[in-house]
Amino acid sequence: MDGRCHAHGDLAERVGVSPASVGQLLSELEQMGLEIQAIAGESYRLRRPLEWLDKKRIDAALAEPARRLIAHLEIHDELDSTNTYLAKAAGENAPSGSVCLAESQRAGKGRSGRTWLSPFGSNVYLSILWHFDHHEAIAGLSLAAGVAAVKATRNVGIAGCTLKWPNDILWHGRKLGGILIEVSGAAGGRFAAIIGVGLNTYIPASLGHRIDQDWVDTERILGGRQASRNRLAAALLNELLPLLEQYQTTGLTPYLAEWRRFHDLEGRSVTLQLADRKIEGKIAGLTDQGWLILQDEDGRRQCFTAGEVSVRVEAVEKRQ
Amino acid sequence: MTMDIRKIKKLIELIQESDVAEIEIHEGEESVRISRYSSASPPAAAGAAPSALVGISQAVEFKSETPEEAEVLSGHIVRSPMVGTFYRSPSPGSKPFVEIGQHVNVGDTLCIIEAMKILNQIEADKAGNITKILVENAQPVEYNQPLFVLD
Repeated sequence: MDGRCHAHGDLAERVGVSPASVGQLLSELEQMGLEIQAIAGESYRLRRPLEWLDKKRIDAALAEPARRLIAHLEIHDELDSTNTYLAKAAGENAPSGSVCLAESQRAGKGRSGRTWLSPFGSNVYLSILWHFDHHEAIAGLSLAAGVAAVKATRNVGIAGCTLKWPNDILWHGRKLGGILIEVSGAAGGRFAAIIGVGLNTYIPASLGHRIDQDWVDTERILGGRQASRNRLAAALLNELLPLLEQYQTTGLTPYLAEWRRFHDLEGRSVTLQLADRKIEGKIAGLTDQGWLILQDEDGRRQCFTAGEVSVRVEAVEKRQ
Repeated sequence: MTMDIRKIKKLIELIQESDVAEIEIHEGEESVRISRYSSASPPAAAGAAPSALVGISQAVEFKSETPEEAEVLSGHIVRSPMVGTFYRSPSPGSKPFVEIGQHVNVGDTLCIIEAMKILNQIEADKAGNITKILVENAQPVEYNQPLFVLD
């Protein structure tokens, strides 16, 4: 796992398998999303060295407020999804500030039940559990979390990230990450919110075609330099945990101005897909609740609490 | 002014005691609208949003549901705790959480209400059989709007 070259027999010995099963093992690793390069003869190496998620390295990059707010931090090699794992933990009375990261997810969750591509050993899959006293206290949290994620990327040297409503993290119009929040009512009338963040640090070219939109990762943004996943995870925790601690008091209001500044598609002609309905219009900002405002050709405005925004290609062509 | 503050206070008290979510009263040129929505999720967002906002789809569709509610909803009503979009199943094309006639226990998930990519699982607060499902999949719902009836 070090990016160096290893001969077939050497690998078998180190891993403790028979030479005959090395091929099988390597193909399993490739299916997990690792890129393995075969070099003249029977030597192999990883196309790029791996940086394992490491509690100590995350901790070293944490600022004091975030460190104080973490109740537990768990790192798993593989989970169905970090959100699902924490939802279960919430049912077993896990406290606010429970944090979970995984090297890979079998069933990472995207929006509307879609999967979030989660190959092994790359990208950040991070979830945080936080309890709230009532549903209203959680309103708009997804937008505030988007603002926090953009700031986190900036803090690790990635400039120019923007937001697509409600909280996709874009870089030059391409998707870098997303946030999904799941809320369940707990016994005793408290609500458990699980804030899941997925951020691409490296998507193997062999898997990129599975993402149904234009995407980017930090390695491509940084011109081939790897961003430290541990530092990125810490940067996300540094922004998100203090926000969560305050959110029940502050609500969305203090984050709205920044959200609007980071907004990528203001004034653009878009299609909003809402189940099997498609609504077309021009984005005319956000309400103070964070709802999206669309204006149709007659100047009528409607606001929406859900739906998938996509830029209308034909509208772009017409304008050119 | 014909509608003084005491009258409005009285109306607020009345609406708080009743099951009515929102009331609008016209007296001559004056009108007042009082709703029970909390400040965090008001449908009367027009006040906070740009003034040119003429129609909020949620509010419009909600009004059309109101007479139905007034008809007969006997039993235990599960209401939406927020403004959002109602989903009957965890993902498009998958099996709904519940069907009419199904027995549910306290804590069973009945639906998801999405508000800006926050997926809120709405759970049964009482055991019983589902007798009515009042909202279609992927439709907007208002705060306090009835979603399910349990016997």
